[in-house]
Amino acid sequence: MKKVIKKFAAILLAGVMTVSMAACGSSESNKGTGGTGTQTENTTGTGTSDAAENTKSVEGKDCTIGVAFYQDTGLAVDATKAYLESMSDTLKVTFKYTVLTQTDEAANLTKIQELISSGVDGIICTMDLGMTSIIQECEAANVYIGGYLCDYNTSYTSAFDQVFKSKYFVGTASDGQNPDDVTIGTTMFNSLVEYNKRNTEAPITHVSMAVFPVWAFPSQQAGADQFVAAVEEYNKTAETPITVDPLDEETDVLAFSPMNTTYFSKHADTQAIISFAAGSAFVYPTMVQAGVDKDIKLFTTGFDGGEEANFGTAGTGTYQQNMVTAVESINYPLVLLLNKINGVTFSDQPEVAERISSSQIVINSDEDLAKFQKSVYYTKAATDAIYSPEDVLNMTAYANPSATYANLRDMLAALTIDDIK
Amino acid sequence: MFSTGFLKKHVYDLAAYAGLIATFILFLVFSGDKLTYNMTTVIQAGAVYAVIALGAVFVYSMGYMDVSVGQQVGVYAILIILITNRMGGTLAGVIISFLVILAIAMVCGAFNGAVAVWLKLPSIVTSLFLMFFFTGAQLLLMESTGTNSISIQATIKPADRNTYNLVLVAAIVIVTLAVTYFFRFSKLGKYTKGIGANEIATAQSGINTLKWKVVAYMAFGICVAIGTFIMLMRTGSAGKGTGSGYAMDIMICLILGGMPLSGGMKSKVSSALIGTFTYVLLSNDLATMGVSLNMINFVKAVIFIGIIFVTCRKKDNVLPR
Repeated sequence: MKKVIKKFAAILLAGVMTVSMAACGSSESNKGTGGTGTQTENTTGTGTSDAAENTKSVEGKDCTIGVAFYQDTGLAVDATKAYLESMSDTLKVTFKYTVLTQTDEAANLTKIQELISSGVDGIICTMDLGMTSIIQECEAANVYIGGYLCDYNTSYTSAFDQVFKSKYFVGTASDGQNPDDVTIGTTMFNSLVEYNKRNTEAPITHVSMAVFPVWAFPSQQAGADQFVAAVEEYNKTAETPITVDPLDEETDVLAFSPMNTTYFSKHADTQAIISFAAGSAFVYPTMVQAGVDKDIKLFTTGFDGGEEANFGTAGTGTYQQNMVTAVESINYPLVLLLNKINGVTFSDQPEVAERISSSQIVINSDEDLAKFQKSVYYTKAATDAIYSPEDVLNMTAYANPSATYANLRDMLAALTIDDIK
Repeated sequence: MFSTGFLKKHVYDLAAYAGLIATFILFLVFSGDKLTYNMTTVIQAGAVYAVIALGAVFVYSMGYMDVSVGQQVGVYAILIILITNRMGGTLAGVIISFLVILAIAMVCGAFNGAVAVWLKLPSIVTSLFLMFFFTGAQLLLMESTGTNSISIQATIKPADRNTYNLVLVAAIVIVTLAVTYFFRFSKLGKYTKGIGANEIATAQSGINTLKWKVVAYMAFGICVAIGTFIMLMRTGSAGKGTGSGYAMDIMICLILGGMPLSGGMKSKVSSALIGTFTYVLLSNDLATMGVSLNMINFVKAVIFIGIIFVTCRKKDNVLPR
């Protein structure tokens, strides 16, 4: 009997723990949702009215928006969460977070279903995997969805009608690398030229590259081609031409695992790595391991924190360029979702959802780094954001009837190093 | 109300049913105006687990387990898509592709059961081999497509959501009836339970344990194939990570449903259904109750370890062989 009692006690304890954790969660999530109870009132999908009729500003409804990130934590994710939370009161939005996977459609669908079950009115999603079934779920539950940091290229090329033409998909702000709007190769080339101008005595004349697989980031391959083309054009008139090693399938395509040290034997003469793939996580550790971080420079996308110790003239000076997407670019899907939830639309809103390339914060010098270190991306302080909560509210069609879609697109173009306060 | 003897005898079943009832009550209370939607998500998520878990009853009742099921699901899903698309997305393509994966699943089942006996290895070792084999196959197949995810070109999911849910319920009912018949009223169920209870005694009774192990694993393979198809109906696509985590999820479902890890005569078909829906409802409840979505797995783990503590029966041989 003792044993039986023990076992029931164990069940009871597990139950109590679950309920208490649930209670903690629900008390938090109830914040700001008490008001008008908008979950179902405006979710018919037909409630959008012409902006012409929408001449008076309207107070936004309380709502909940789920954000499905690509990872749970990290500088960019933490900063984005901090930025969103800072806007919670002004926008009357409660944010909920979850993490998606890069490889399992069914797991992503389950995560989205959990968000919908938890009562979200809209979802911002950073992953294009299983989107057709996710859109079907959103349609069934009358929940709107938008994209962030993702070009939705799989859906764009193979399921455009199901995803981009769905009235539940509001569009996406990609991380500056839409395959049909590639600029990253030119940006990398410009950074290299800028470095050489600053270092005329020891310019970089031989570079190699690194990319993620084309199935995951087709724009990186296109960016690499663009970079090579820019160098070839430059070499026509340059006094000191630059040599670019062609991409080597074996060593230069990083399958989301750290670069192999054989890279350096394949590119024995390289003076700099132009990494379109996230170099801080996948290239730099290998450079340190191979002991080449003092000799080879790194130009790369991403900033995970810690790069500043070896950036520009600091430390080993390995990093000579970092490129990131501003966290404020999340305002694009956020504003479009809020409009949908509040039943309004911009007068110049396109009929079909779009994918818009966000401008990039390019850090080329010590001065740029100092500026970047004052951005919300780095400080995680919402007060450092380029756009305040009031600015974002003003971008919506319900709070500001004269707001336009063109303005929202312009916002994405104004998220550069020069725009940081 | 209940005697000590009754409680002692049925503590595992009571715990399993209590878990299901508790999660269902929470589901009704916290779903609010999303009750209908949530019911459909529970059916959709539960159907795959239920069908595979029902098949796994044959394996777990022997005190064995199969850790390759997730990777098998991934490869089978990709194969269905590749074959169907190659055949122009036709109905014939869908049928042929399903028959192909059904055959592979049964062969793998036979391999799992037979090799373990011939080499005198714990069956988990052979299933580990299959797991690594299918992991490699999944990556190679996806590499050949040059993409992260592939979608089926045929329509395999009813357009109407209600019809789709009815199909899923029908699939669960049919598989349940079939598994119940074979597990309770045929030699297969009796012998697998016998092997789980005492393999030597079963063999000494003149029963060809090798044959019935193979048959049990093949029956499981059939359910894995059906489960894969149901999963593919849900997403319409598959990729490098499809199926990952299923082996663990199925084990959790069965344990939550009261299936003894050591197998034996107390193994029940109902464990698969009770466990599956407890597991799926629990996930849904935690979401609707406002638990941070990132905390759900942690809470599940706490509950799982609690259940393990409750359902542990033997000091030795607790883990499957």
